[in-house]
Amino acid sequence: MIKTLVFKILRDLRLVLFVTTTLLCLFQIFWAKIMERILAQLAPFFHGMAGYSGIEIADMEKVVFDGPGKLMRTFIGGDSVDLNNAMDMFSVGYIHPLVQTILCIWAIGRAAGALAGEIDRGTMELLLSQPVGRGAVIIAHLIVDAITIPIICLSLWLGSAVGCMLVAPLTLKDYDNMIQPMKPLQIELGVAGLQFKVRDITVGKSPPKIEAGKGKLELRPMDFGGAMLAVASLLFSITGVTMAISAFGRFRFRVLGISVFVVLIMFLTNVIGQVWEPFSILRPFTIFYYYQPQPLILGKPWMVTYSEWNAGKPLVHVPFLMVLFGLGGFGYLLAGRIFSQRDIPAPI
Amino acid sequence: MLLETQALTKRYGAFTALDALDMRIDQGEVFGLLGPNGAGKSTALRLILGFLKPTSGTSTIAGHNSWSDGVRARKKIAYLPGELRLYENMTGRQLLDFLSGLRGRPVRPDLQKIASHFDIDIDVPLATMSSGMKRKVALLLVLDPYADLIIMDEPTNTLDPTMREILLDEVREARKRGQAVFFSSHVMSEVEAVCDRVGVIRKGKLVFSEKMVALRTGRQVKIKLPSDGPISELDGLNLVWRRERFLHLEYSGTLDHLMAWIARVAPEDFSVEPMGLEGIYRKFHGEPQ
Repeated sequence: MIKTLVFKILRDLRLVLFVTTTLLCLFQIFWAKIMERILAQLAPFFHGMAGYSGIEIADMEKVVFDGPGKLMRTFIGGDSVDLNNAMDMFSVGYIHPLVQTILCIWAIGRAAGALAGEIDRGTMELLLSQPVGRGAVIIAHLIVDAITIPIICLSLWLGSAVGCMLVAPLTLKDYDNMIQPMKPLQIELGVAGLQFKVRDITVGKSPPKIEAGKGKLELRPMDFGGAMLAVASLLFSITGVTMAISAFGRFRFRVLGISVFVVLIMFLTNVIGQVWEPFSILRPFTIFYYYQPQPLILGKPWMVTYSEWNAGKPLVHVPFLMVLFGLGGFGYLLAGRIFSQRDIPAPI
Repeated sequence: MLLETQALTKRYGAFTALDALDMRIDQGEVFGLLGPNGAGKSTALRLILGFLKPTSGTSTIAGHNSWSDGVRARKKIAYLPGELRLYENMTGRQLLDFLSGLRGRPVRPDLQKIASHFDIDIDVPLATMSSGMKRKVALLLVLDPYADLIIMDEPTNTLDPTMREILLDEVREARKRGQAVFFSSHVMSEVEAVCDRVGVIRKGKLVFSEKMVALRTGRQVKIKLPSDGPISELDGLNLVWRRERFLHLEYSGTLDHLMAWIARVAPEDFSVEPMGLEGIYRKFHGEPQ
């Protein structure tokens, strides 16, 4: 029975799933091309400038991305992203607002239609007049999530892998012309008829030689696999929350509106909290605080520390995946509880 | 006993949609529930199907509680909703396959034959069908030979007269197969035509329930008396209303006793008609004419 229901739901979702996965895959390929171009222009600039001026790259980035630039950096992943590192920059493709928007549209749209949508269309009555338990409907949707979420994740990974193949090996545009050995300065001063010559003053140092596709320009498509867990956890958590709202609802568009409002508020709270310190204490209350694909790609700890609640010092280490999967699971449990106890109203 | 409700009640705040419904339907019985819009017919059906949680009371189908053991209860039921909503992205056949799959059994073997009888093409997408055609597809679903109880909410809505007759024939066939049928309707003629028992619901309360046999043997008597005086009594004769010399009575008993009584009263004018449903329905829902 559940199998029949699962196949039916998948059948209903197939077109939207195809569009979603295609968009995400194409975006990752497109992002690879964009990143290739940005890296080729940005990295030589930072390396060159840093080398010649003797300032550390990190310090230069700090100046460039402080103030108005901070907002942009927030959008692309915060301080953890090294703008000269190809893998770091490619990982931005997983937190890009467009990607998050597509993921949220999928999760909210699917879950809002799952229960409230069927009630709204009146087909829930047809479904529940069969020997189908309300819990079975929820379980069927859970199984559909277990099938569709990995497909969406794989589409993202496929896009990244194809993108990497298209741009590899990465090379830095005109970089070789910039790294000519520095000539010592020859200064001649004339003071009161006396001539002074200062020779061989050297400021800074020559920028390092960077090999194509090596070091910070190395691309490792398999490393993006880790991000799939983060994407899956984000999708599952939003689906779970929306499913719970959907279990209460009667009208699909009302549920859609409420869910979009909730998710949008969380998204904005997280973004504002990143750029405006006093607001940061609210970030842990948002789903997006826990959506961190970059540590999974870059091999950093999979933890959130709640430092926002402890004057910037780690308060407690919690695996962010656990929070999101837990939230999704809780949403489903709540949806099951509500849906099994509520009246199914007649279609209007 | 296939279906039994005991003091089945549904309240929405201060409003009582269904008030202590007590009824039972046996195997092979056709029960018609009459009542105007908002009387509580659909609420009763929806409680029996487990769509609504009763405020109090119980409904059981073959011993299974409609709310707490709904899956087992609904295994016994085929249901036709009043407001028909189907999966429009499917063809009729896909819908039948899907719903049969949910019931864990193959589609009825005579599907094509019945579809031809109903004059519908089940391979056409439901989205392109008229409301009458969709209703026919739904009837294919509900006239399930495997169901013990067929529940239909105003089944003849949007059906043409030919299809209405076919449906009533199918209800009779279902009864012959030993299936019970429970349907709500506004149309008294179709209830009279096929029902073994009829109930009248008014403001959420079942105000009348009787076997059709009794209704068919009962008579309504209208007489115009020669004077304004009292009338003699007769066993089985009940006064419904009186306006001066005009009387409306109901009678259940032998016809010769009635005719003898009329002869004694010596009315200026009189009529004797089978009781039928109309009189019963008017009694609860309409003003006497």
